[in-house]
This record gives sequence, structure tokens and C-alpha cells, in this order.
Amino acid sequence: MGSSLDTQALGFPVELSQLGREIKKLWERESQTSTRASLINFAVFCRGPEAMQASTDLLMEFTRHHACRAILIGAEPDSSQDQIRAWINAHCHLSRAGAKQVCCEQVSFYFEGRTGNRIANVLYANLDSDLPLYLWWQGDFPAPIDVQLWAWVDRLIFDSQSWAQPRQQFSLIREALSSGHSRLVLCDLNWTRSLHLRQAIAQMFDCPENLTLLASLNTVTISHAPGFHSTALLLVGWLAAQLKLELHDSRPDNSQFTAPGGRPVRFVLKQESGRSISRCELHSDTGSLLCQRDTAGDFFRMEIRHQHGDVHHHLLPSGSNAAAPLLLEEIAGGGPHRVYLRALAIAEPFF
Amino acid sequence: MTTHHDRAANPLREGLSNRPMPQPCTVVIFGASGDLTYRKLIPALYNIASDGDLPAALSVVGFARREKTDDSFRNELEEATRKFSRQGINEELWGSFRERIFYHKSEFGDLEGYERLAQRLNALDSARNTRGNRLFYLSVAPSEFGGILEKLAAVGLNNPAEGSWTRVIVEKPFGTDLPSAQTLNSVVNHVFREEDTYRIDHYLGKETAQNIMVLRFANAIFEPLWNHRYIDHVQITAAEPLGVEARGPYYESSGALRDMVQNHLLQLLCLVAMEPPTDLTADSVRDEKVKVVRALRPMKPEDVAHNVVRGQYTNGAVNGREVTSYRAEDRVSPESMTETYVALRLHVDNWRWADVPFYVRVGKRLPKGGTEIAIHFKAAPGVLFNRDSAVGPNVLVIRIQPDEGISLRIQAKRPGASVKIEPVKMDFHYGTSFGKASPEAYERLLLDAMSGDATLFARSDEVECAWRFIDLIEQAWHAHPSPPPLCQYPAGSWGPAEADALLERDGRAWRRM
Repeated sequence: MGSSLDTQALGFPVELSQLGREIKKLWERESQTSTRASLINFAVFCRGPEAMQASTDLLMEFTRHHACRAILIGAEPDSSQDQIRAWINAHCHLSRAGAKQVCCEQVSFYFEGRTGNRIANVLYANLDSDLPLYLWWQGDFPAPIDVQLWAWVDRLIFDSQSWAQPRQQFSLIREALSSGHSRLVLCDLNWTRSLHLRQAIAQMFDCPENLTLLASLNTVTISHAPGFHSTALLLVGWLAAQLKLELHDSRPDNSQFTAPGGRPVRFVLKQESGRSISRCELHSDTGSLLCQRDTAGDFFRMEIRHQHGDVHHHLLPSGSNAAAPLLLEEIAGGGPHRVYLRALAIAEPFF
Repeated sequence: MTTHHDRAANPLREGLSNRPMPQPCTVVIFGASGDLTYRKLIPALYNIASDGDLPAALSVVGFARREKTDDSFRNELEEATRKFSRQGINEELWGSFRERIFYHKSEFGDLEGYERLAQRLNALDSARNTRGNRLFYLSVAPSEFGGILEKLAAVGLNNPAEGSWTRVIVEKPFGTDLPSAQTLNSVVNHVFREEDTYRIDHYLGKETAQNIMVLRFANAIFEPLWNHRYIDHVQITAAEPLGVEARGPYYESSGALRDMVQNHLLQLLCLVAMEPPTDLTADSVRDEKVKVVRALRPMKPEDVAHNVVRGQYTNGAVNGREVTSYRAEDRVSPESMTETYVALRLHVDNWRWADVPFYVRVGKRLPKGGTEIAIHFKAAPGVLFNRDSAVGPNVLVIRIQPDEGISLRIQAKRPGASVKIEPVKMDFHYGTSFGKASPEAYERLLLDAMSGDATLFARSDEVECAWRFIDLIEQAWHAHPSPPPLCQYPAGSWGPAEADALLERDGRAWRRM
């Protein structure tokens, strides 16, 4: 059995039916010294007591940068008791101007035993009205997916890196989407994880001289840390989709695509120690691009080398792989993620 | 525009950024040993690099008279960036960034110095792949513009190579009156095309100034009310508790009207009063802004006496500290007639704003600092709750600085058995809702100039129209046989009593900030 739920960080225990009234009282107590702020409903689903604690810590950090109503939903279906417990809390921090406290509320629920089918109802009853709902689902989706739960979700956040069977999970998502909830935007933190790398690579091709390298690309080598194979596959999908490459031969970690015009392009994936994607090399007939993660700092060292001898270097931010910065990047970026869907369509068969 | 062409040509850009990307270039700063370079420009470029938005191929060349080496210049800039960068400094990134900075010693009038500059820029293009793109930043007094531009042209640095561009950023003040602005425009446009000329007004780089257009044109609820049928009047205020500090000589030749109203406040007025542009391209937006300046009702000398109040601070107290009068400030004439405060009643003579006064005030040594635009709506009809005693109007306030945000004052019933109505404020603070700090105005403006987007820069006709309007007031003050008086106000007060009377005559009052 896992550890028991440490409720201290979750704040005041409240009766589920009294939750709205208790939140009002909370703000009445705080209103003299602080300002409540909220731009979104940010619901987080997790499993078990440890995840509740970790998610609360993360929400505390998250609310420093993005005002929201945080709704933490924990589930322990193996519990012998069928009960739903609830707590309220406020995360406060000094505003940038430093003059006043800015506070966001956290509402936490713990669904034990066979109460999991009531999650949608409880979540809907406790949304901050008129604000969009972002749901971060940690871990695997249950089969079948609770379509009612997803009905009002604007952005569904998940991390395909954590899935043992990604193809099955993506299949579940497609099934739920096909049931008519097309407004839902899929936000894969595994895609966000490569955002800075994609930006760094793209930036090197803002210089028109470097575009010749893409036009004669022949080999892409991506080195990834253990556990980040799926991140590397999404990167393959991105490059292939954006360069309009067609899959020719799909061998694991050594696939061959065909560029418009018939030129072959090979993608090689290597597992090495390091942080997520540690290195990406693009080789072409006219030169090469090397993007190497700096192990000491938070940068990518970029080197572009032309056949005629010119070499240019650049240092670009590599971002963070921690959950809170990834979530903040994802939420700040927004958008419909059409490029992701194209990349996924190519990468999915490799998962 | 090259920018959009380049973006389209890079297939990997899709979905990563919705703004034009800065292009490889060399930024040449004239007057590089000045305060602006150390406090604003280099920290801004460093912050752009820190955000990952600086092009891989970018060099910065400081051009100034003082003796310095590349290394000593870099060391000085490092110290300044540590102090003034909004996100501190990262040693590794600074190490990479400093290698892009170079110092070029020359007198502004020395042609040979420009010839050496041209050679150096060509060498940098080859070494750093900056493609012959050059952005010249004139961080010098306007009196130096002509000489610098003439020398740039003499060595051909204004002419881009095939497929490259050259642009010039000009710092304010852009002229001191219409003739001098026309001369400067002519000097600049003799050397650079108007579309390559970027006249900087840092107010336009501020997040809230940019948000005015978003507020008006991305929300369906405001635009139907944004006219003379629903708006009673508009107040624009720029208040400063500071005096002239070390800028006495400059201020003596400028005054509040030229220093603040001609550029910053008229720009804000344009953003509030303009018609929706057909699209968001630089010229569409600036076309609409210039129409507003053209529609400003010109003032005859007697109109100036009636609609404009000028003031100068006397001894007083600010922040609980005693401060001296303007005339006792360092390097200020004891008989100075320079205004440190001005309040104006303006009219935009077009269909939308018929009979809606725009009250604009700016002053030094006021009780607190802040720049804001307040839209005062007309009162509700005098029936029902307004029948016996008028309740206050709705006021929409756009705070430009500090504490950027938007608030709306509405009327609400006070809880209880009787009907008592109280104003309440709905308040949005950028700092509260968005944890991320806004980029500095110079960051945004430098990025835009490197990307070829001139939307947030003033165009020559805008500048000239603004001077044409301001000159009428200046002439009434300084060239008329019986000019209106220079009113006095104690430092730490909200300006002269005559400024209050300006609104009281219309049955209105300045908003309490």
C-alpha cells in the first residue's frame, strides 16, 4: 500500500456541499491584504497521496506566474472506503510591483473507492464561471474515456512521455475527439518539451543562406536520453512534416523518408546519457547544423557549417524540463497546435 | 516586405511565433558612450538574446568619440547590463553576447572614420553572416543628425547591397518646431527612404499603449460606445513627481509642451481617437493616427488663452521633502518662462468626436507619478436612479504606467433596504493577472526595427502635423504681443488653479489619480 494522504498542504477541510460558501469566507478573510486573481480554471488530475502532495507544490509554483483557480483532483480507486473529501487553500505571493499580495485559490478533491465516476460532476460544480477550463491529466487515460468529463475542457494537457503504451493512449484520445468535442485542443507536454529546441533549430534557418542546407538535407541524427525516445520521435515528426517528407522505410530508430523531388533523407535516433534531447545534427550536401545541449547551463550551442568553409555559432536558451516551467510554456504559447498534430501523424506509427 | 517573405521561406517557423522575426544585421549605435546605450539599448538587446529572439547573425558596433577598445567598451557595458537588465545577467550568455559587440572610435564629423566604419561593417558581414543589413541608431542630439547622415551617405552606407537593407532609428526630439522637423525630415529622407526611417517614441513600446488598440478593436463591447454619443470627454494625464534633475538646459529650450505633448501624449490621443485601420500593417495604422492629428482643431492666439494653461512650479514639497522652485534648479534661468506644466482642452473635429473635449495635462513636481487615459462616459438619463441626484458617470481608465492595467467605474446599489448608489471599480492589473514581466519598451522597439515593422514608430507626416498644431500654441506664448500668463503652482500640488478652472468652466473636474 502507498502512504496516507498528508492533508496539511491542502488547507482547510470543507464539506463538499459547502465549498462555494467556504471559498467566499476565505476571500473575506484575505481581502484586506490581498487581491484574488484568476485567468483560467486549471484542473489537475493525479493518482495517489504522493502525487497530491507533489501537485500541490507544483500549483504553488504555477500560480506565482499564472493566475488561476487551481482544482486538484486526486483519485485512489483501490481505497476500501467510498468517499470524496475536499479542501480549500490560497497560494499568495507578492505582485511584481511588490505592493500587494496576489492570491489564487486551490480547491482540492480526493476521490476514494468507487467515487471516480463523480469527478465530472464535482469539477463542473466548482469551476470559476466564464473562465476557460484547462485539464492536466497526469499519467494514462482510463479506458473508456469519460466523455462527459471532457465535454467542457478547452485544453487537455498530458505528457505522452509518461505513457507506457502511447499508441493505445492516442487511440483513446482520437475516440473521444470523434464523439464530437472538436473544440478541445490537445496539449502534449512532450511536444512542449522540445519547444526551445525547435525554436533554436528554426532560428538558424531564418538566415536565407542557411535554407540551402534544408533543401539538400540527407541525414538527421538525434541523440536522446533514456526515457525520451518519444520526444525524439515527435521531433522527427516535426521535421518530416514541415519539410514535407514522406515515409519510405520505417525501421526502428533508423527510418528513411523521401523529400519532394525524390531525395532520400535518413533519420537516426541514438540513446545516450544526458538531458532529454541532448544533440541534434542535420547534415546536407551543402553543410551541417549541430545543436548541442550545454550540460552545464540552460543553453543550446548551435553551430552551422557551410561546405565553403563558413562556420557560425550561436547560443540559445534551452528551457527547462521541469513540470511547472513546461506547463507555463504550454499555457503561454496557446494556439491550436496544428503543427503538433501533423508531427504526431508521422511519429505515431513509430511509438 | 522582406520579413514576411523570409518567414514564409523558413518552413520550420510555422507555429513557433506569430510576430515577424528579426533579421540578421549589424546595429550601429551613434553616441554609444551616452547614457541611453548603457541604460537601455544594450540591456534591451541582451534581454532579447536571453529570450532567444536575437538573430544568430547580429553584431553591435558602438560609434563614439571617446577613446575605448572593444574590450573596455564590453566591460563597461557588462557593468551597466548587470545593473539595468530586467532579468539580471547570465555569465555564459553574456560571454557569448559580448563577442558580438565592437567599438568604433571616431568624431562624428570625420569622414575617414566613416570610411573605416564601412570597411569594418563589410568585414563583420563576412565574418558574422550579417548579410549587409544595417540598422543605424542615432542616439545623439538632433544637431548631429545632419552631419552623421551626410557622412553615411558620403561613404555609401545608406545604400544597401542587393538583397540587403539599411534602416535608421532616430531618437526624439524630432525637431523643436515645424520648420526644424521639416528640415530634419528632409535631411533624413535625403539619405534614407521614409519606409527605412524609424522615429522612436518609447511610449508606443509600452505594453499598455499597445493594448489600447486591442482593447478597442478586439472587444465588441467598447467600439459601439466609442464616440460622441456615449463619451462625454477624455482625460489624458502624465504626472511626474520629479523635477528637471540634471536636464535643466535641455528643459529650458523645450518645456513640457514640446517635451511631452508633441510626441508622447499626442500619440496616446491618436490611439484613443483613431478609426479602426483596415489592417495591422504599419502604414494602415499610421494612416489612421495621422488623420487624428490632422483633425485636431487648430488654435488661434485667443483660443490658446482660453484652452491652454501653462504653469511653472514654485517652492513646495514632494514625498514629504521640501523642494525648490523650477527657477532655482541647476542651470535654469532665475527668470525662466519655461512651462513645467501644461493643460490643454483639445477637440478632434471629425464625426466620431464632435463636441467631445480631450483634456490633456502633463507636469513635473506633481504629487505622484503616473500616465493614464480616462474615458468619461455620459451620465445615465435623469430618470429612475438619476432623477433626484445624479450618480457619477462610468469611467474607463487605461493606466499606461506604473501598475499598468485597466479599470472601469460603474454604479452599484449599496446593500440595505434603501436605495443608495455607490461607485465601484472593476480593476485589471497586468502585474496581478500576468506573472510574466512585460518586456521593456526598447526591447519591443528594437525587435520591431530589426524585423522591419514600423507600426510603433512615428511617420514624418505624423511628426510634422503634430508640430504644426503645437507651433500655434508656442507662437501664442512666445510671439504674440499679449501672451497668456505663466501660472505658478507649488511643487507637490496638482498644478495651477487655472488648470482646474479650465474644466470647471465646462462643468467637469480632473480625475483624482
